[in-house]
Amino acid sequence: MIHLYGVVEELEALPPVDGVGAEPLERRRIEGLELVVSRTALEGSDVTQAAVLSHANVVEALMARSGAVLPARFGHAFSDEHELAAAVRTKASALARGLTLVRGCVEFGLRVLGDDKAPENGSRELSGRDYMRARLAEEQARWRLAEELHEPLARLSRASARFGGASSDLLQSAYLVPRQEVDVFGEHVRRFEAAHPHLTIVCTGPWPPYTFAANGEEDA
Amino acid sequence: MSMSEQQTLKQQVTLLELVDRVLNKGVVVSGDITLSVAGVDLVYVGLRVLLSSVATLEEPRERISAAGAAP
Repeated sequence: MIHLYGVVEELEALPPVDGVGAEPLERRRIEGLELVVSRTALEGSDVTQAAVLSHANVVEALMARSGAVLPARFGHAFSDEHELAAAVRTKASALARGLTLVRGCVEFGLRVLGDDKAPENGSRELSGRDYMRARLAEEQARWRLAEELHEPLARLSRASARFGGASSDLLQSAYLVPRQEVDVFGEHVRRFEAAHPHLTIVCTGPWPPYTFAANGEEDA
Repeated sequence: MSMSEQQTLKQQVTLLELVDRVLNKGVVVSGDITLSVAGVDLVYVGLRVLLSSVATLEEPRERISAAGAAP
């Protein structure tokens, strides 16, 4: 079986890290695309925390040594070289578009946890209608606050995505940020954090562009 | 929330974000992703533990704001 870590561009040399199951990394070139793989005894379906972390570790190391990396999603092992080559050939143009999109960018994740403020006191005494009004006003305030943070960050980014409709998080999002904009991006987040000290903001990154790796397929 | 609680929370969220990216994001070259339910459950049990610790850490902050100490 063959485990795929990602499609890379301008990779100088393989990083000195082990792949999933301590297997050595190998390179493949298919349809002009450069891939990093390792042999594996595992089926794609063998998900363990260690395997997931190894995969992430390899992609991270590739990120440091490549012009661009399109991280592969964990969860499929190719049965042999033929299956791998056929799959890459089928997706070659989408993969090339994906590389173009993420080139020169890193990803940042943002979570603003929980609620902005505690429930209004005395809410028990409100009538049903007033309660609904108060809830609506609260929701609108949350929405405005999320917009205030998200909108300028999205404008700095080459692409952005928001998640977690049902989540209680105020904002859960990802941004594909050109490297030269990373400082400005961080500055925006820090300023928002300082202006809203009661919010718990977790900004993670720079990540390899996992969230945007499949975007090349959408333009097909 | 104390600085060390804040630090722990941020580390937990970072791990959660990492696993979410590796399992749910990234490009699918093969056309089919065949995660076994058992395997995914293993990883997500880990995630639920993380999420519940996040919820636990949220409580003190809410109590403080309810007491009117928040700005």
